[in-house]
Amino acid sequence: MASVNPAIDIDNTNEEPGTRAPLVLGGLDYAGVTETVCAPWEAENPPKIWWLILAAAVSLLLVLGGCVNHLLMKGVGVWGNNNPAYWGWPIVNFVFWVGIGHAGTLISAILFLFRQNWRTSINRAAEAMTIFAVVCAGLFPGVHIGRVWVFYWLFPIPTEHLAMWPNFRSPLLWDVFAVSTYATVSILFWYMGMVPDIATFRDRCKTKIGKLVYGVLSLGWTGSARNWHRYEIAYTILAALATPLVLSVHTIVSFDFAVSQLPGWHTTIFPPYFVAGAIFSGFAAVVTLLVPARAIYGLQNLITLRHLENMNKIIMATGMMVGTAYGIEFFIAWYSGVPNEQFAFINRAFGNFWWAYWIMVTCNVVIPQLFWFKWCRTTPWFMVIVCIFVNIGMWFERFVITITSLCRDFLPSSWAYFHPTGVDIMMLIGSFGLFTTLFLLFCRFLPVIAMAEVKGIMPHGDGHH
Amino acid sequence: MADKHDNDSKLVGLLAQFDDPDSLVSACNEARLAGYKSMDAYSPFPVHGIDPAIGIQRSLLPFLVFVVGFGACFVGLGMQYYTNAAEWSPIFPGYAFKISGKPIFSLPANIPVTFEVIVLSSAFATFLGMWGLNKLPMFSNPLHRISRFKRATNDKFFLMIETKDEKFNRSETESQLNQWGAVAIEECRQDLTDNQLPSWVRLVGLLGVFLLMLPPVMIFRNMGMTNRQPRLHVVPDMDWQHKEKTQVLSPVMENGEYLFADERAMRQPVDGAIPRGRLEIDSEMYRGLKKDYRPKSAASSIKTNAQFVSASLEDKKEAPAAEAEDVSMWLTKFPEGITVDQDFVERGQQRFNIYCSACHGYDANGNGLVNQKAMALGANGQAQWTAAKSLHDATVKDDSKNPLGRIFDTITNGRNTMGPYGSQIPVEDRWAIVAYVKALQQTGIKPLTAVVDEDAGGEDDKKSDADGGSDAEDKTS
Amino acid sequence: MHETRPAKITSDVVTLNDGHLKAMPLLLIVGAIGLGLSLLLTGFNFERFSFIYLVNFCFLLSISLGCLFFVIISHLTRAGWNVTVRRLAELFAMCTLPLGLLFLLILVPVLFGSSSVYSWNAPGWSAHSVEQAAVIADLPAEVRPPIEQEKGGYLNSGFFSVRAIAYFLIWGAMGWFFLKTSLAQDESGDVGLTKRMQALSAPILILFAVTIVFSSFDFEMSLSPLWFSTMFPVYFFAGAFMSGLITITLTAMWLQKSGRVTDEITTEHYHDLGKLTFGFIVFWGYIAFSQFMLIWYANIPEETFWYRYRMEGGWGVLSLLLVAGHLFIPFLAIMGRTARRSQKFLAGAGIFLLVMHWVDHYWLIMPEMNQYTNSFTFNPLIDIPCAVGMIAIYIAIFCYVARNRPLVPLKDPRLGEALNHAVH
Repeated sequence: MASVNPAIDIDNTNEEPGTRAPLVLGGLDYAGVTETVCAPWEAENPPKIWWLILAAAVSLLLVLGGCVNHLLMKGVGVWGNNNPAYWGWPIVNFVFWVGIGHAGTLISAILFLFRQNWRTSINRAAEAMTIFAVVCAGLFPGVHIGRVWVFYWLFPIPTEHLAMWPNFRSPLLWDVFAVSTYATVSILFWYMGMVPDIATFRDRCKTKIGKLVYGVLSLGWTGSARNWHRYEIAYTILAALATPLVLSVHTIVSFDFAVSQLPGWHTTIFPPYFVAGAIFSGFAAVVTLLVPARAIYGLQNLITLRHLENMNKIIMATGMMVGTAYGIEFFIAWYSGVPNEQFAFINRAFGNFWWAYWIMVTCNVVIPQLFWFKWCRTTPWFMVIVCIFVNIGMWFERFVITITSLCRDFLPSSWAYFHPTGVDIMMLIGSFGLFTTLFLLFCRFLPVIAMAEVKGIMPHGDGHH
Repeated sequence: MADKHDNDSKLVGLLAQFDDPDSLVSACNEARLAGYKSMDAYSPFPVHGIDPAIGIQRSLLPFLVFVVGFGACFVGLGMQYYTNAAEWSPIFPGYAFKISGKPIFSLPANIPVTFEVIVLSSAFATFLGMWGLNKLPMFSNPLHRISRFKRATNDKFFLMIETKDEKFNRSETESQLNQWGAVAIEECRQDLTDNQLPSWVRLVGLLGVFLLMLPPVMIFRNMGMTNRQPRLHVVPDMDWQHKEKTQVLSPVMENGEYLFADERAMRQPVDGAIPRGRLEIDSEMYRGLKKDYRPKSAASSIKTNAQFVSASLEDKKEAPAAEAEDVSMWLTKFPEGITVDQDFVERGQQRFNIYCSACHGYDANGNGLVNQKAMALGANGQAQWTAAKSLHDATVKDDSKNPLGRIFDTITNGRNTMGPYGSQIPVEDRWAIVAYVKALQQTGIKPLTAVVDEDAGGEDDKKSDADGGSDAEDKTS
Repeated sequence: MHETRPAKITSDVVTLNDGHLKAMPLLLIVGAIGLGLSLLLTGFNFERFSFIYLVNFCFLLSISLGCLFFVIISHLTRAGWNVTVRRLAELFAMCTLPLGLLFLLILVPVLFGSSSVYSWNAPGWSAHSVEQAAVIADLPAEVRPPIEQEKGGYLNSGFFSVRAIAYFLIWGAMGWFFLKTSLAQDESGDVGLTKRMQALSAPILILFAVTIVFSSFDFEMSLSPLWFSTMFPVYFFAGAFMSGLITITLTAMWLQKSGRVTDEITTEHYHDLGKLTFGFIVFWGYIAFSQFMLIWYANIPEETFWYRYRMEGGWGVLSLLLVAGHLFIPFLAIMGRTARRSQKFLAGAGIFLLVMHWVDHYWLIMPEMNQYTNSFTFNPLIDIPCAVGMIAIYIAIFCYVARNRPLVPLKDPRLGEALNHAVH
């Protein structure tokens, strides 16, 4: 029986062409993988730092709860939203969180279809992150509708009393369908992927309640070859469904903006550019979460430097795509010869919100260039700093798009400035509490790494690798 | 667990353990070649090459998903057509309405939702179809009673040959398994009592079914009842209020007469009523009136915004009253707190260009774009339009007839056919416009820069005449 | 269970044979006849001929660019499965430079002030085209912008030519770098060369992105100088990569049929290429739909006229054909695993898709010939000979580039991975 190896970083980032660097280090065998992943769950008490972070996260969650309560009691006037900036921080936060979610699906579905084996160590946590991010995202438009208790009007539910239906020609309704479909499919995908690992938990569980709960959740999974056969097909189909789905979600979010005629919003590149930005921010969030998680739980042998480096490369690539899109937008604004369009972009860079624009450019385009240097993309503490900047930048990107365009539309007479209120700021911070709380609970009670998948890609598991 | 007596349990099959995936696959191949069919392999992860070794046929799941997805395409489109484009229906009729200039049924706008419906349905078909075809969840499985088998989700590999296989023979099969490299062999026995549910489960189940029945029974019962109580309204949401809606007739009293003599439910504010937060006690600043001026009656020519609407209804009757206006009440200088300087006038120019120039023109000669267009339409008899006033007219320019306060009032409350701008332009900005208007009037039909140029000894002011204020704006912005 | 093949090329013949090379002059003659016939049938209408020539040129260019991207992305992601088909992509990518010579037929008239293809080359174009666009888009006279001066800084024959030449030089240099390095590795088997290509693939990809963005603006979008769409380069790229993949697939099949590279390229490779093609069919559909949807929904006159024009009359029929033939039919056709693993079926689908990709460029370019008069131009007597001629020339170029060079990398360090490639 392999013991849990000491947590040290082994450099497996150099790969000679013709060989493939190992993705599981420390000489772990199948049992070793199981032990490593189950250790945090089997530990009697979670580490102190877990409690500390949980305490902080729950306090922030309470702040969020208080703010939502205040909002519902008082009305949306407690936000800084004004005329013309009807979409203020809540929508910025929504796009931000939904974007973060995309990395999970990218890792679990798109990298799966591209047979990127290194995804196996990180996909579970990333998928969990997706779901928690979508929860945070759903909160904001949810409360933004004002009367949350009639949210079901958003869905095509026949009601005699309303005698009308949602308007399916509205991009906001597409959003409802896209985000709820995305949340549902992500949960199905996540849960289905987790069943074999929950079965492992069931078989190792020592408490009665645990046996019952994990027994029910594992649905009687035995690991039969016939089951695996259908399971793998189902996994591939779900991946093939989730790939266009994840593209569609941020595409539809971008439609919310781009189908309008507002200068700065109506740009045809928005769909792929939003998707690239979403993956960009999502990967940054995954790195930000996994670097501390692997240190706390000693998962360095499974989430290796190579995994982190690969993610950083994707961050750099998507960052570059986002940067290119900024450039194309500027060029076409000039090329179009439409004065409103030209003004919108000059105003972004040099208008009232110039600082937001330059924060965005610095964080999204300039700082990720550090990843050209190998040291920067293989040093855990340093990459976390870069990734935090990336997420700050991506939040400001949504701020720039949403607020500057709204505050400067066609009619100068309806120009205004946007000031966030305390509730705005506290709700953004509070949503991080919600996200972190959910993620910490996930780390404690569910398998953080897809054990079955990691075992499947281990060299002695598959003779021809 | 497997050592139950034979009469309590039944042999299901022989379970052989292997330590690595390759030996499992080769054992499966041997077993298949030996003619076994009812067998299954168990592994902690999908082992490649095991499907042909056991003889697993490719699943029909993809086909199932395709059928569901294809159907969902039409369901999605149909749902949108039904709800947004069709008005026929025995129940829950559709709600066809035009919005945002799109056709009632506009396919491009319906594609996103159709796509999502397809993906959602296909995902459920995949998920549920997979578990269904795998016959999971299964509540009991004799394999889970074997402690050795717990390693099947960890690091060990198993092959079970079932008793129902025609070729199964207890001892022969065991020796074959040994020959194929099994590390350990164990009997898998089904405990016959496994099929009986524990008594408490039945109790809980019965209770659950009973509780589930309650709501439909209650609903059914209430459907056949009459009740004097109003319907339950969970969130009040200001749905029921003692109020009259806007623009409706006055309530009728018992004697058949209207409660309010003017037959309107809407009430005018009481004379002298001031909206909350709008006390605006400084009449110089807020109304352009001299401090010591006191209106003789509430129905003076000075209108508050609230009164403007009702007053305009009676404009025809009141028309002569405007003639008899007392000009002395208007402020003739800027109120205290307003400093007129270069910045202030430039602010006024900018605001003027935004709000006023549309009708009055950038140079205030009364020929803005709206005016031009409306006059053109008016000439064809397509519109009724009173020409916008040139602010360079003698009457407008004349300080004795049109002091500063009166200009301010004109901007705030409108005059003749000009509408009020008080609600759109903040007070300081209105004064800034006043300052700019006065500056314009002094220069004649010349923009601000021309005046500045003149002061600075500039000469070429003819050129900027033509361009009007836009030229000046370029220089100031 | 898993037998491992040694990382060695076992086919006897890995180069084109003499027959292929001897066919080169014949192909060039076919090309000349095709182009001549096309020109003759237009009644020496050079405008009509230039337009159809541009359609075919852009079609072939997009194939080469798709292949170039295939090479770049293979090195960037350190792909191992596709080593055996990568040489074909390298060879097609190298064709960009000779294609640049073919572009001279368009470029030289532009330099001499011809505005028959690029209408922005005539002074006063904006008045003309704004006038005509206004008819389509109901633009009121007052809001027509003084576009000519504004865009003149970018859309003028001098700058256009400099850019065009720069694109071809850059693409040629990229193609040459990859081909040369890869061929050098055939000799030496030096692993360092792979590392070098990997290291340089990242900056090369950035340069590739920039050139493809502006070249698509220049070659195709500026045909309608009033119109603009930020999505356009992505649309061009999606079609280009799809057609590049198909061309690689079809070429590999053709080589195997003629007994060239027998067992280095297996069903698994075709299956993967088919999957990628499938993915990019969907991606093309996604980009095409998004671009259309945003312009259709916002309905702003300065953009909508472009689509409105393509939605009426014969162009409308062509648009529907494109939606069906470039998206739905191939989507359903190669969705199934069995379909993608059948070489014959995949070849048929590939040829169909290439035709549709040609139609796509036709749809992008040809409506701009009779700007805003809504006359449908398709005339098989003119269009088909030109297409046949240009494709023949392109094949001749390919044969020239391939000469007696090996059609698979002989000593790539990841050759073993590709030879033992199996989809799980």
